[in-house]
Amino acid sequence: MIAIFRDFRPWLLLLIQRRRRFLVGAFLIWITQMAGLALLGLSGWFITASALTGIALTLGIAAHLDVYVPGGGIRFFALTRTVARYIERLYNHNTVLTLLADLRYRVFGYLTQLDDARLHGERASDWLSRLTADIDTLDNFYLRILVPPFVALLGIMTVSLFVAIWLPSVAVLMAGTLGLLWLVVTLFAASWGFSQSYQQVVDQQSLRHLVVDQVQAAAELMSYQSAQWHREIIAGHEQQAYINQRRLGRKAALINSLVSAVSGLMVVAVLWLASLAFTQQLVTAPIVVMAVLIALGVNEMFIALPASFMKLGASYAAVRRLNQLTSDSKPVHPTATLSEEAGLAIRTNHLSLHYAQTLQPALSNVDFHLPAGKRAVITGNSGAGKSSLASVLMGRLKATQGEVTIGGELPWQLSSESRAHHFAMLTQQVDLFDTSLAENLRVANPSASDAALWEVLGAVVLDGWVQQLPQGLATAVGEKGQQLSGGQARRLALARLMLRNPQVVFLDEPFAGVDAATAKHIAASLDQWLVNRTAIYFVHQANSLNLLPGVEYHWHLDAGKLSQCLLN
Amino acid sequence: MGTEHALSLTPRRWLKTLAKGERHYLFGSSLCGVLAGSQTIVMVVGLAWLIDQIAVHDRSPTALFPVFALLVGSVLLRAAFQWGHEILGLEASLRIRQHARSQLLSKLSALGPVWLTGQHSGSLANQAVEHIDALEGYFSRFYPQLRIALCLPLLILVVAGWLDYLVALFLLLSAPLIPIFMALVGMGAERLNHDQFVAVSRLSAHFIDRVRGMTTLQLFGRTSAAQQDVWYATDDYRRLSMRTLRLAFLSSAVLEFFASVAIAVVAMYVGFGLLGYIEYGPSSSLTLFSGLAVLLLAPEFFQPLRTLSQHYHDRAAALGAAESVVNVLNEPALVSRHAAVAPLLSTSVIELTATCVSYPVRGQVIGPIDLTIKKGEVVAISGASGSGKSTLLALLAGFLAPSSGIYRLQENYQYAWLDQQPCLLHGSLIDNLRLAAPQASHEQMEAALYRAGFGPFLKQLPDGLDTLIGERGVGLSGGQAQRLALARVYLSNAPLVLLDEPTASLDQDTEQFVMSALLKLAQEGRTLVIATHHPAVIAAAQRHFSFERDELVEVLA
Repeated sequence: MIAIFRDFRPWLLLLIQRRRRFLVGAFLIWITQMAGLALLGLSGWFITASALTGIALTLGIAAHLDVYVPGGGIRFFALTRTVARYIERLYNHNTVLTLLADLRYRVFGYLTQLDDARLHGERASDWLSRLTADIDTLDNFYLRILVPPFVALLGIMTVSLFVAIWLPSVAVLMAGTLGLLWLVVTLFAASWGFSQSYQQVVDQQSLRHLVVDQVQAAAELMSYQSAQWHREIIAGHEQQAYINQRRLGRKAALINSLVSAVSGLMVVAVLWLASLAFTQQLVTAPIVVMAVLIALGVNEMFIALPASFMKLGASYAAVRRLNQLTSDSKPVHPTATLSEEAGLAIRTNHLSLHYAQTLQPALSNVDFHLPAGKRAVITGNSGAGKSSLASVLMGRLKATQGEVTIGGELPWQLSSESRAHHFAMLTQQVDLFDTSLAENLRVANPSASDAALWEVLGAVVLDGWVQQLPQGLATAVGEKGQQLSGGQARRLALARLMLRNPQVVFLDEPFAGVDAATAKHIAASLDQWLVNRTAIYFVHQANSLNLLPGVEYHWHLDAGKLSQCLLN
Repeated sequence: MGTEHALSLTPRRWLKTLAKGERHYLFGSSLCGVLAGSQTIVMVVGLAWLIDQIAVHDRSPTALFPVFALLVGSVLLRAAFQWGHEILGLEASLRIRQHARSQLLSKLSALGPVWLTGQHSGSLANQAVEHIDALEGYFSRFYPQLRIALCLPLLILVVAGWLDYLVALFLLLSAPLIPIFMALVGMGAERLNHDQFVAVSRLSAHFIDRVRGMTTLQLFGRTSAAQQDVWYATDDYRRLSMRTLRLAFLSSAVLEFFASVAIAVVAMYVGFGLLGYIEYGPSSSLTLFSGLAVLLLAPEFFQPLRTLSQHYHDRAAALGAAESVVNVLNEPALVSRHAAVAPLLSTSVIELTATCVSYPVRGQVIGPIDLTIKKGEVVAISGASGSGKSTLLALLAGFLAPSSGIYRLQENYQYAWLDQQPCLLHGSLIDNLRLAAPQASHEQMEAALYRAGFGPFLKQLPDGLDTLIGERGVGLSGGQAQRLALARVYLSNAPLVLLDEPTASLDQDTEQFVMSALLKLAQEGRTLVIATHHPAVIAAAQRHFSFERDELVEVLA
């Protein structure tokens, strides 16, 4: 219980940071509900009073009923309910969207702290695909879990106090019943459905994994004729999931019908008690009717509550995932910096890297020395450890054993600004953002002039292509740069790199997907740009070696082990 | 599985077909909903009568006890019907989702490995899990509620007409407005939902886009600028969508307005009628009973519709999900649906006669090919990348149905498959080995692992065969994964082994190991077909075919 609350706490605090919006939103919902009850109650009062007056008049008794005040009141409440409801919906949606911005801002802030192991680990696609949904779950928390029970409680108090003016015993009955009902639809519903709604999310996830298995292992399942076997496993899991969902659904149905029964019985009880008071002439008939109709309308405050609270477990699953993700980001802010003028030599000393939960080290005992301003190439198959080595050299991962020094400093101890300033890397997987070509280039240097952009585009032989685009530099690259071919995307990323002025450069597969003639041109541009910079190329195929001008060192990486090669 | 006539399936039609399958539960759910509504009518009419008896006719509540008891019964009955309404809707939705999911999974099998490699497995999993689950509200809530919203108001109208036909007339006059408002609500909600859906997904895409590019942002020291950007983008979206919401919420405000006005109008009419201010029609015969009853019935008349509009987003969610699922269901299946044709010669495993493969968009890819693979042969297939090696291998494996020509394979012929990226299942080593032989014993599994050179790793694993591997467990290197895949080949004892560049991305040690393992398999008498450029493998093969300018030619030694 306390542990659960602790997990929710940071997010709850964020949600109620906008306290005023919360109170105003709750107030508007309260107004809507009260206007609805008042409309019903006053109408009942008015009809009954009219009926009694009418009877009196037909009996010849002088009676008078002011029809204008209640008539005006009825019209007023009818209008208030409609308008308040409309404003309330607008206002609260505005709040929800504001909170969405807050939540995303907060989560993004955590994510900026993640290291390469987390960003590109095996689970990356998994959490990425759920990230927005999890944030949305938290966002919905506000309108589903936080505001309604608060308003309902306020409503119960208002209604009971109002009825207490004439019928204290009825008021006590109402306050007691509704209070208990409130506890049932909030706390009890939450705890009763907690494990099942949590399990529902877990089931969904394991089902997801099984379907991914079916898709990825389609060839094996078909050839070994084990598809049926796998489908049976899926069916088994599904069955379990349905049993769980059925149980949860039945509990929800039970609570809903309990709310219906209890609130209905309360109406009958209110009528009973109020009529007893009426026969004792403690109260007038119109008041009795008003109390009954208010009791009749009051259950509307509870209708949405059970469903939201039954699903608290699912929200908890989302919160836990976000907590897990964000707890990985350790807010350490290293402060070391590098000097400006000196060239930076790279030296590794028995460098080893062992990812958690892998059997073999990704890098073992890597030793090399690259003097300042020199260029080297490291070859190796995919999976040999090239990207891991690049990440360690950049200080984006910490070595398990041994160390790297660049310009005498440990890269992972450098401040992120210093790292960004001195180092640059073309990553194996190129990230392009869903904006224009120019914006993508300016990620590297926001103040770059158009002329500078054209210059670097020329260096990677993309200028001709961009010129013939109708929108030129303003052309959108699409999500994940889909409007560009793989080779174009790489060249754009390389051009982006050239907008910076780093002292150390790592280039992971700079020529992948680029045809030979273009590659030659780009190599020449790189040769020029890399003057006085320390550079390491990471390439897959040895046959692109002749493209690399000025390379004086060649190492080969195989299963995490580095060996020296001779350059010819 | 009915995929033939379902080729032009639309989301709506699919949903309709699904509903038809469980129409009994759905009907039961709607019926219970209407019955619960009718109990509400009984209850409010009963309340009005009791109040009338007590307030006007001066009867004591104790004398009316049986009626009170009746009311209690009706309250309990209503709760029971509501329970039934929900339970039956739940059951329908569960069954429908199970059916829909199995339909989708069967379709994925029919599309086959070749089609699936081109897809993002995560998004397919999304469809099979999240999108199918998104149908829940539509079938459990919206669908029955739509039927209730058609029936219940009619019932209320009849009762109101019996009590006071002017009020019924008033409700009836607003009745033609109901379909109009339903359409209005529908259109408003549909547009709202659609616009919101598009805007939200665009915004989420923006957010995910920035998260995905986090490495680049970090490398360029631009994370805090991007963080600001995330806030502003979301806030911009807020301002934009508030503009649309202002209009969109009007449609539900109209319904709300009608429900409120109905109470107000009926209250005024009944009040004035009871005071004797209205002289015509049934007004003079109004009593507190009939007046109060029609007052309470008026909002109930609109209630089903209000509930329906609250569930409208369920429909939008279901339609959105159905659209993406139907896209997959409409894909033409690549795997042959026909039973295997036996080879002409008993000595051959596979026979291809003038066989071609073509894809819908790219046209013919390979063929016509004439090729006979005999039992016990080792056949190497080489060619530049993209020349058709993989397509031929997929054809041999039956992953693709030939577009023309004949493909003959012995029936129920088991074969093993190994490609450059062996697939690891989310699960234990046992699960991963069962893939090849669901019935294998633990001893057989261990033996296969040792033969595949996985022994040294197995010894390091604390949980042995039960060790979880992959995302939720121990990570395997490329070499280890390939050895595990090799163990599957050993375990299966399949007489035919198809290999698609099995050593392309291995380190040197593993490559050597896999090569010699393959040669041993050949010595065991298994039939091997290997797509490869590796000279040593080609040299060891008995026959060697090569793709030269889109044609398969036999290279004679």
